[in-house]
Amino acid sequence: MMEGILRKAKRTAEQGNEVYLEVAREDFKKSCVFLYEKKRAFLRLMFAADERETGGEFKIYSVFSVPGKDRFYIVVLPVEEGSPTFPSITSSIPAAHWYEREIRDMFGLVPEGHPDPRRLIFHDSFPADSHPLRKDWSLSGMDKKEWGEGTAGKVPYRFMEVEGEGIYEIPVGPVHAGIIEPGHFRFSAVGETIFFLEPRLFYTHKGTEKHFEKIGFPEGVRLSERVSGTSSFSHSAAYCMAVEKAMGIEISENAKAARTLLLEFERLYNHIGDIGNMCAGTGFAVGYAKGALVKEELMQLNERITGHRYLRGMNVIGGVSKDIFRHRDDILSTAERATREYKEMMKLILGTVSHVERLENTGILSREIALKLGVTGVAARASGVNDDIRKSHPHLLYDKLLFEPHTMAKGDVFARMMIRAEEAECSLSMIDALLESNYRGDLTVGVRAIPPYASALGYAETPRGSVFYWVMSDKEGRPLRVKLRSPSFCNWPAVPFAVHGNIVPDFPLCNKSFNLSYSGCDM
Amino acid sequence: MLKEILKNIIRRKSVVPFPQGFRVSPEEASKVTDLQEKIDAVFGRSLRIRQVDAGSCNACEWECTALTNPVYDIQRFGIDFVASPRHADAVLVTGPVSRQMELALKKTYLATPEPRLVIACGDCAVDGGVYKGSYAVTEGVANVVPVDCYIPGCPPSPMAIISGIIQLLEKLTHLR
Repeated sequence: MMEGILRKAKRTAEQGNEVYLEVAREDFKKSCVFLYEKKRAFLRLMFAADERETGGEFKIYSVFSVPGKDRFYIVVLPVEEGSPTFPSITSSIPAAHWYEREIRDMFGLVPEGHPDPRRLIFHDSFPADSHPLRKDWSLSGMDKKEWGEGTAGKVPYRFMEVEGEGIYEIPVGPVHAGIIEPGHFRFSAVGETIFFLEPRLFYTHKGTEKHFEKIGFPEGVRLSERVSGTSSFSHSAAYCMAVEKAMGIEISENAKAARTLLLEFERLYNHIGDIGNMCAGTGFAVGYAKGALVKEELMQLNERITGHRYLRGMNVIGGVSKDIFRHRDDILSTAERATREYKEMMKLILGTVSHVERLENTGILSREIALKLGVTGVAARASGVNDDIRKSHPHLLYDKLLFEPHTMAKGDVFARMMIRAEEAECSLSMIDALLESNYRGDLTVGVRAIPPYASALGYAETPRGSVFYWVMSDKEGRPLRVKLRSPSFCNWPAVPFAVHGNIVPDFPLCNKSFNLSYSGCDM
Repeated sequence: MLKEILKNIIRRKSVVPFPQGFRVSPEEASKVTDLQEKIDAVFGRSLRIRQVDAGSCNACEWECTALTNPVYDIQRFGIDFVASPRHADAVLVTGPVSRQMELALKKTYLATPEPRLVIACGDCAVDGGVYKGSYAVTEGVANVVPVDCYIPGCPPSPMAIISGIIQLLEKLTHLR
């Protein structure tokens, strides 16, 4: 079956588990749809790169992975500068809709046949026909000033309008009531019931991908840690993996074990904190306080073993900076105490009917929508999509650990909480298992210069879902392109589907059950 | 939950200790106990803060949230985070101020009643931090609104945020 698509490819290249298939324009959509429909492949990410310095062309990459195979099929389409368009695949693969709009904003390559012509990333006061990820792009001081002032409506954004008897609009944000990130939400409600929600995000757009190109590969580790605060470690682990692959080095077993352990640490403190936070969404103060307490204990453990509450500064290209296994006893005793407190907390939460009643049947995301939109992580597994990067593309020491991704069928807030609970327990047992053995090798291996035009894919399963980094070097071995795709970018479009038909006061609860990162999505 | 409440009534009351490993120098600890007096002197028992995320990675927000957990419990000093700038004495800003948040930050600042204080919290808020030089950020809160107090750190720990607030209050006490 796969041969057909391979035959169509003009050029193929294979490196590790990445298969690049360069296709002609007329075959691009066909190849993508074949993978998606016939092979049931997940669209992992889609992006463009300005590779005009190599062959005068832009390139579009769409990365798929077929369930049950540790391989990435990357369909590549060259786009000539003279006719900057490419065939949109959104009508067949809805998961591509944001990626294609992002490509249009950042590169000025137009997805032909895309149903939504509006800009995604840039707000009204950003100049038209200005595309930051083009190599020859610049922004005048005046444009920059006006962009910040935010009053010039250079490219007006039209919100979707819902009309009908009794429908009214509630605009919320970007500055919200709690200590949370900024985003604008526009509810069209009938009484208290949400009929339609349109989020307008990208307020925290910081030009991260362009900044990666500017600061170089080694300094990029620090930046990747600061894309999304509570996923600092997973982001930098995925980034380091991509850079190490492009360099052609393999890290030691010891460093792999440390990274695996810390990825599970990150999952653990986030999941427990998130379960507690959902209690804040229902006004259940005791549950919230308990969750915050266990989380705080785990974060203090993070600080003792790595020197940083968010595990920053641990990842370096070529390994890890500190030996965390010498804190074995501290980790074990804290984990034991945390397990005890966590179990007590779960007993309390599940025994509180008024809380559980609010979670059940609230914010249902159907499996069909989750699959179509390419939802990832906890949100996908709670809707019955069995997908976990740790299992489908085993990396680090995940192939040696025994675990199965947990899934639930219902897709409501309660399911998302229970998936977190099960995964937290799973992480605790993985931490125990990882601490049982001794690992060989130095903390870091020597780094090499990155060869010209080398590219590689790095990935990890963050507490929210899969994160991907794709890096490519230029002729001097500096970054030509760093693409990052955070799980929140995939999951935000699903939130409006989950809140449809719920009441406005349940929106914070639904939102907390997804716990998406604005900064990670907006970059 | 009823069981939990009963348990709390029956059990001997004990103060939640700072968990093991919570490192605090005696000097810092005495500052925290002074905090109450200073807030009393300057604000008459309460300091209300409106937090604005102007493009932070969300780590600073979580540290602010941690201030309200049972370990740090900042509310016991009369400090609290409020839902509206109209209720606030101070605006605590995090992030390098992304261009697309500039207007919202200015509006929030202007909505806060005078005399208002601005706290720039975190390395990004101080000077852009790791995002310094990016096209989409303004490199620090001071480029957008006047800042009264800087709290460095990436992110500053809850203890560092408390210290920063104390410093701000000290500055104000001297002004009096």
